[in-house]
Amino acid sequence: MGADTEATARREVRVTDASGLRTAFVRAMMPAGRAPARVPSHSLVLEHVVQDPARLAAYDRVCGFTLRDSVPPTWLHVLAFPLHVRLLGAQDSTVRLVGAVHVRNTMTLHRPVGVGEALRIEVHAEAPRPHVKGALVDLVGAISVHDETVWTGVSTYLAQGSHVAGDPVDLPRDHFEPGTPQGLWRLKGDLGKRYKAVSGDPNPIHTSRVMARAFGFPRPLIHGMWTHAHALAQLESRLPDAYTATVGFARPVLLPGTVGYRTAAHDGGWDCAVTTKDGARPHLLMRVEP
Amino acid sequence: MNHNVVVVGGNRTPFAKAGGPLREASNHDLLTAALDGLVARHGLAGVRLGEVAGGAVLKHSKDFNLTREAVLSSALSPLTPACDLQQACATGLETTMYIANKIALGQLDAGIAAGVDSTSDAPIAVSDGLRRILLAAQAAKTPAARLKALARIRPSHLAPQAPSVAEPRTGLSMGEHQALTGARWSVTREEQDEIAAESHRKLAAAWQEGFFDDLVTPYLGLAKDAILRPDTTVEKLSALRPVFGGPEGTMTAGNSTALSDGAAAVLLASETWAKERGLPMLARIVDAEIAAVDHPGGDDLLLGPVAATGRLLARQGLEVSDFALVEIHEAFASTVVSTLKAWADEEYCRSLGLDGAIGELDRDRLNVTGSSLAVGHPFAATGARLVPTLAKLLHEKGPGSKGLISVCAAGGQGLVAILEAV
Repeated sequence: MGADTEATARREVRVTDASGLRTAFVRAMMPAGRAPARVPSHSLVLEHVVQDPARLAAYDRVCGFTLRDSVPPTWLHVLAFPLHVRLLGAQDSTVRLVGAVHVRNTMTLHRPVGVGEALRIEVHAEAPRPHVKGALVDLVGAISVHDETVWTGVSTYLAQGSHVAGDPVDLPRDHFEPGTPQGLWRLKGDLGKRYKAVSGDPNPIHTSRVMARAFGFPRPLIHGMWTHAHALAQLESRLPDAYTATVGFARPVLLPGTVGYRTAAHDGGWDCAVTTKDGARPHLLMRVEP
Repeated sequence: MNHNVVVVGGNRTPFAKAGGPLREASNHDLLTAALDGLVARHGLAGVRLGEVAGGAVLKHSKDFNLTREAVLSSALSPLTPACDLQQACATGLETTMYIANKIALGQLDAGIAAGVDSTSDAPIAVSDGLRRILLAAQAAKTPAARLKALARIRPSHLAPQAPSVAEPRTGLSMGEHQALTGARWSVTREEQDEIAAESHRKLAAAWQEGFFDDLVTPYLGLAKDAILRPDTTVEKLSALRPVFGGPEGTMTAGNSTALSDGAAAVLLASETWAKERGLPMLARIVDAEIAAVDHPGGDDLLLGPVAATGRLLARQGLEVSDFALVEIHEAFASTVVSTLKAWADEEYCRSLGLDGAIGELDRDRLNVTGSSLAVGHPFAATGARLVPTLAKLLHEKGPGSKGLISVCAAGGQGLVAILEAV
């Protein structure tokens, strides 16, 4: 049976609204132990999601976007994110959001999406893949308007300690060369709280020093998707109507902190690097391609 | 002027009342939206334009480079330079003249003049007292000295200071000033309510005819000016209670402009540039004149444009009857009435140093698609709304048709400009 057939046969579970998310969040936060990696086979669907312009405005302010009629693709990721939590918080998931590291993300904006458009959001998990440090899980999101797919996204999480049978696969290696930053972002200690408020991502390692320490970080770290969004916001006027943005999260950014940023055009697209402030090591590498 | 400067087109966001449908948008967001609509309409994406001049009356200190930052967020080439200008409610007309003058002198081929204001996103500052204490604390050499400085903070220092629309030298708000002017010029409640009702009626008709289809781009779900009340009448307006001039006052919320959010932009170019690109040429910018009154000495605050109009017409050798259309910014309906009375007043005009009365205006030529009472008045945007509106109207009337724009501004200033259809 081919993957396509599998996808069409996937059972859809409709989620009416955000109710029950709290329980899912709690469960998604519970460490799962060293079980074989297993993810739900069904997909979750949110129908008729009406976008809230006030929340979009707040999101834009935190991430550095201009408030426009068309929304940033990273905002669409934020709208799909509750389904990530819910999927990994399901009874039949042994992969938990806590302890799962967001290592890679790809999203494609197929056309400009208006803030006034009602969206259908669907998320499913692909079968876990073996990795030397655990299991890789792809959460695949698709957003459509009247049956037209307008956005697709793949978030790759590394479930550390989890395991899958088979030969370990490697993540793609992003090319990086040290270089002098073109800009410095001075990130305040409350950035995690501010992004939490607009994204709904409740992971306490972004807001609590105690929780960050419990996971081995000296200080809270900013959400990778904020760094992704802020990097994209630097390019905003150069972005075409449709494009793919791929990021690799190399190492977390601690709060408060200062990071470097640089970007360069490449055949029709852009490469961006968020680095340590001396430009020597990468935090995030992003490629935008039309 | 060496080069003919033409109005190619304009674009603005719909205007809305403060706290209304555009309340989430900052000055930066609004200005970017106005620029992007203009760029899209004229195929300027990725184009390096000569310069963009914009401004806002209520501006956050972080927005010191407001217009340049909006250019960087817009679809224009990031190599497009920009500057901020501010001349209160005349800002959008002053940015127009700044760009037009540079084009006329051959310094630019084309540029954009713009203005924006968000009274929903007005900057709130700390009080002067608190600022001084904080500065003293910062300068303190020892922690003890710092604590001593901070100990001077009192609850009253913590009240945020909203920007005030009061004139710094008189302490009177603009409405209070206009109430004095209205009484001096015997402006009646009926005259004001008629102007307000006409403004709404004409604006509604213009929207109905599709006049604004190529001048306004919807933003954040708002497609039309939100202040517009197509069904308002003199009867309805006459029921409103006065807000300026005391209980016997004649100025109401209906015949005064509302605090508004919005942005406007106008594309200006040399004739050569516009022709090369096959872009429309609506009207030529002919000339402009700025004037000021001595309002701390008792002059009418908002009648600055009268002297400017007299001097401009004299310089151009024109009469009031030479103008097919006239736009007088409706700061208040009372401002329009007192301005027209002042135009016709021989003695007043002579007191301004003019040779005689400016003249009587045929009211059918005035604000024919409505004005600020119905559209709204985001302070700095109004001038950049008026220029493309009048240019389009004159163009429809045919080549050679002349129009006059008159805008009053805080500080007792007035800016007027002449356009002529191409």
